[in-house]
Amino acid sequence: MTVLLALPALLLMAVVFGWPMLRYAWLSFHADSVLTGLVPIPNGGANWLRLLTDSRFWLDAGQTTRFAIVSVGLELILALAIALLLDQRWRGRSAVRALSLLPWALPTTMMALGWRWIFNTPYGPIEQVAEAAGFGPLNLLSTPAMTWIVTVLADVWKTTPFITLILLAGLQTIPEDLYAAFRLEGGSAFQALRRVTIPLLMPYILLSLLFRMAQAFGVFDLIQVLTGGGPAGSTESLALYAYLNGMRFLDFGYSATVMVGGFLLLTALILLGALLLRMTGALRAMQP
Amino acid sequence: MRRGFRIASGLIGLLFVLACLAWSGQKQPVPVSILMPAPYADASTQMVEAFNREHRGSIHLEVIRGPLETESISDLAISSLLLGDTPFDALLMDVTWLPKYAEAGWLEPLDPWFDQAALDQLILGARLGNHHKGQLYRWPLGADVGVLYWRTDLMDSPPSTPEQLSDIAINLVQTKRVTNGYVWQGRQYEGLSCNFVEVLHGFGGQWLNPATGQLELDATSAARAAAWMQSLITTGASPKAVTNYSESESLQAFKAGDAAFMRNWPYAWAELQKPESNVRGNVGIALMVAEPDQSPAATVGSWGLSLLKQSPHREAAVEAIRYLTSEAAQRERFLNQGYTPTSKSLFTDPELIAVSSALPEIAKALDYSVSRPPSPLYAQLSDLLQRQLNGLLTAEPEKTNRTIDTATAASAAAMNSVQTKSDMLLRATGAEA
Repeated sequence: MTVLLALPALLLMAVVFGWPMLRYAWLSFHADSVLTGLVPIPNGGANWLRLLTDSRFWLDAGQTTRFAIVSVGLELILALAIALLLDQRWRGRSAVRALSLLPWALPTTMMALGWRWIFNTPYGPIEQVAEAAGFGPLNLLSTPAMTWIVTVLADVWKTTPFITLILLAGLQTIPEDLYAAFRLEGGSAFQALRRVTIPLLMPYILLSLLFRMAQAFGVFDLIQVLTGGGPAGSTESLALYAYLNGMRFLDFGYSATVMVGGFLLLTALILLGALLLRMTGALRAMQP
Repeated sequence: MRRGFRIASGLIGLLFVLACLAWSGQKQPVPVSILMPAPYADASTQMVEAFNREHRGSIHLEVIRGPLETESISDLAISSLLLGDTPFDALLMDVTWLPKYAEAGWLEPLDPWFDQAALDQLILGARLGNHHKGQLYRWPLGADVGVLYWRTDLMDSPPSTPEQLSDIAINLVQTKRVTNGYVWQGRQYEGLSCNFVEVLHGFGGQWLNPATGQLELDATSAARAAAWMQSLITTGASPKAVTNYSESESLQAFKAGDAAFMRNWPYAWAELQKPESNVRGNVGIALMVAEPDQSPAATVGSWGLSLLKQSPHREAAVEAIRYLTSEAAQRERFLNQGYTPTSKSLFTDPELIAVSSALPEIAKALDYSVSRPPSPLYAQLSDLLQRQLNGLLTAEPEKTNRTIDTATAASAAAMNSVQTKSDMLLRATGAEA
């Protein structure tokens, strides 16, 4: 019965997710480019051999992972703080709750275009302030290290509300009585956060982590518009590299290989994360 | 009563059948749809209306207003072509897409409709980049080449060598007459390749040797060209921010009066003459600089119309292409929007020169046109160049003072790397450049 009820959802997943994935896996064993007249021709593991020795793929994989971990980590910390604040009772809370969702509601492309002008040298407001303060041009979008920070910043600004929303929903499921009981036992507010809030919020934290990691790993629109992958490819993500190979170079065989390769890496990363969590969980359980 | 109802409904039915017959008997105009980037579509609105008036009942032309950015247009067109049922009959194409699209089998040759005489009346810059493997696949809508804009209020004549350009720019920045000397396109995108091709030719090099089919970025000329571009930033002749500039950022700096030189396309001229421009009336156009014994060069960046193989309305689509590229249309586009014409004769037309005194200089630049490598793999080759070159331009200068020798060594290494990676790519895909 359970299987039967889940069937429509499973079918939908198979059509919109399973089939394209299988199709890409199949395509990754074919040469399909402008040179084959866009006809897929089996070429064994040639694409995969090329991927293994493609320094750019591994560079982008490293950059994408670093981007995903740092921005999602920052988002989680910020979102937890904001969610705790928005969970308190104060005047104007509902207005601020609605407003705090605004960055999430904006289309990424528009937002990225906005950031591109904000960080523009020398006409952007940030450079103008830096110039007036005597810091000279910062060249925010033309130095690899600075540009990387800027992309993380833009992503954090944009997607923190998403995690905030999930955590806020989680906070509202924690009964008030628990805190009352904790206070009665003489626990401080900080202890309440550590002993009550975070453990009960854990499922929500994990859920948002999973969502956001998968999303950040596939980051495309923000980087495409803000930096185009530059300077010198230092902000290029795997999704951008796959897009370049497919749409720009018309090499669909290799583009599919990059995509499937990225998918395998993400799966490995999530499994590794789950394993680490389980291990730390087991460690904690051993402690009295 | 019932009978009257029956007669009435019978009559209505008859009327309906007659109306259907009459409607099907009437000749339906052939629909033609052309995809263009937004600015070109906007510039064609009146022309499309005129075309539809003249062809009432036979052809109905519709120009689809695509996105603004070059690559977004390409993405849109490619998506529709891949699905196999494109709603477009013709496409306004950038010069670099042609070999890729032709090789993918998406384009229909235009040779049956345009003869040698038609080709001969085009100016050189418009004639380049329309053929692939000996067949004509594109008819130019407007000519486009890179030129050097200079400030007539800051100097008497434009520089002609790289050294002169650097010296003047550094001097003007140091004496605080401008904040930025020379602005160009250093962002990691196609514009950087266009900038590089001009400098490369100015130093006597070339990207692809058309005679041998070999890439020549490992030549000394390529290293020297890259070293000069890098030196613009390290010496302060150009602001470091140019490494993230595209055309619009360069134009903004130059228009605000903050720069002494700008590399850009001819469209910038009209922008610089607008009332809000700070440099109105103080701008000259010249060819890009070249070493004293070398010929200057201007990268071709023209747009043109291609007929899609999938189009079921070829004759009607070609009729529309002819109309939109006619001399009358070129004149109208030039006078109203400032788009450069393609016919030789229009460049000496007094009425046009009266509107834009820059026209003779643009005509001269068009005669020095050079193409980017016409390869189906061009996008990959250019991407490799952009990465390395942008990396070179944004590299932190070493703490010790850089000598000319170490700078040239770094750029030689970068260019050699592009050459090696490009050759590897060509071998991996089994293609010729």
